[in-house]
Amino acid sequence: MTDSKKWYTQSGPDGDVVLSTRIRLARNFSDIPFVGRMTDAQKAQVEERVRDAVLNGNSTLAGSFHYIDMEHCPHVQAVSLAERHLISPEFSQGAAGTALLLLEDESVSIMVNEEDHLRVQVMRPGLDLNGAYDTADKIDTLLDEKLNFAFHDRLGYLTQCPTNLGTGMRASVMLHLPALQELGSMNQLANTVAKLGLTIRGTYGEGSDAKGAVYQLSNQVTLGISEQAAIENLRSIAQQVIAQERNARKQLCADVRVQDRIWRSYGILTTARTLTVKEFTGLISNVRLGAATGILDIPMDVISRLLIDAMPGTMISRSEQDLDAAKADLERARLVRDALGPNRPQETQF
Amino acid sequence: MLCEKCHKNEATTHIKRVINGQASEVYLCADCAAKAGFGSIHSPFSLGLNDLLGSVFGEAAHPKAIPAGGDEVRCSGCGSTLQDIAATGRAGCAKCYDTFYDQLLPSLQRLHGKTRHAGKLPASAGVEAKQRRQLDELRKALSLAVEKQEFENAAALRDEIKALEQGLNQ
Repeated sequence: MTDSKKWYTQSGPDGDVVLSTRIRLARNFSDIPFVGRMTDAQKAQVEERVRDAVLNGNSTLAGSFHYIDMEHCPHVQAVSLAERHLISPEFSQGAAGTALLLLEDESVSIMVNEEDHLRVQVMRPGLDLNGAYDTADKIDTLLDEKLNFAFHDRLGYLTQCPTNLGTGMRASVMLHLPALQELGSMNQLANTVAKLGLTIRGTYGEGSDAKGAVYQLSNQVTLGISEQAAIENLRSIAQQVIAQERNARKQLCADVRVQDRIWRSYGILTTARTLTVKEFTGLISNVRLGAATGILDIPMDVISRLLIDAMPGTMISRSEQDLDAAKADLERARLVRDALGPNRPQETQF
Repeated sequence: MLCEKCHKNEATTHIKRVINGQASEVYLCADCAAKAGFGSIHSPFSLGLNDLLGSVFGEAAHPKAIPAGGDEVRCSGCGSTLQDIAATGRAGCAKCYDTFYDQLLPSLQRLHGKTRHAGKLPASAGVEAKQRRQLDELRKALSLAVEKQEFENAAALRDEIKALEQGLNQ
């Protein structure tokens, strides 16, 4: 499949603020100990069951998933998978007996022997909680027919960590909040959402240092609440945060100094000959703000794609030459100039 | 306006203080405000749940919760004791939740605010769980019918609920 069909190369609903939506379901077998207490033989047994259910069934699942043995997966490729949000950063360490089943367009990934026996994850561009949950629910039902997941009549789906008991569902929305961050509102926001059973945290770093102003808002409670109610709760809070961010942007972007910073960031990204990840992350956040508010004429999907393509693991694993850190910075600068510069490909212009 | 302290970042926090009638004002960036101790506005993000787990289960495994002198109870599925679960904040296997159900319940109550699953029911769910869910739905339908003054419908729903409740109580 060409790169342009992958979920993260597109922009979705409320894409000016929302980067992506994720639904993750934790599932386990009742007759095998949880991951923390498993033998290697039991890990292999779990892997075989899941692999068989996904790849060899005559269900609609078969044929469209790739199998990746994480233990023997080259490290840069594993890091790239984490950069594309297909696996957790811990999972990229390639612990013994871990495996990944990945749908062709990379919108669905099933982690085997991560913190739970299975973690089914569905990604969507923009804000699309219901769409992502529908897919996750269907896959879960198909898998359950064969795998018969551990379920307790009172406690719901059983998970290794009690924080996931019940629905086993973690729904999250990745938000770009440069204006709220700059106005110093993030801590107040974190306190408020905590009272509503949600949590918000910076994805690159913590607190006001969150690089790139990317934050993840997710549900915290999984027991005693239905999937639909948890999603509706998250969706309505996310909508309010989005509205607040848009207001803050209006206020901020009316300031010529902010406009100046956006244009300067664009200037550096389109002319620099070497770019570290850190510098790129800060500048692209300004440029994304500029594109979302109409100050810069750049389609959002170009930026979404860059946010993945310019990450170190993804760059190195795609490159034909051996990249060291210095060469990667040169290559990153070239990649960014090509994507954002005046000579960027025709299809990406308005 | 630049931060009055670091003179680097944009000032986004305006702090006004009145001490013994003496007013002072300062304009700081988010970082410097946090460093100056205005933690309620800029302190690090909420404590992770995992950090709290140990203490949450610590109480479940408190010596008082374990019968004195008796043999320690072990899960038949994986051999875990309650203290193993408290120490790691993780269950050893699915059976642990049956073995230590009573001891874990207060912690789950604190963690989630509730102790009964209200979400998806798989095909394998027990009859009781399915009936309870059906009961919840019927009760919702009943209050809706009463609200809309559909009394015939409401009466039928009420009878259905009664029958189900009797079945569950037996």
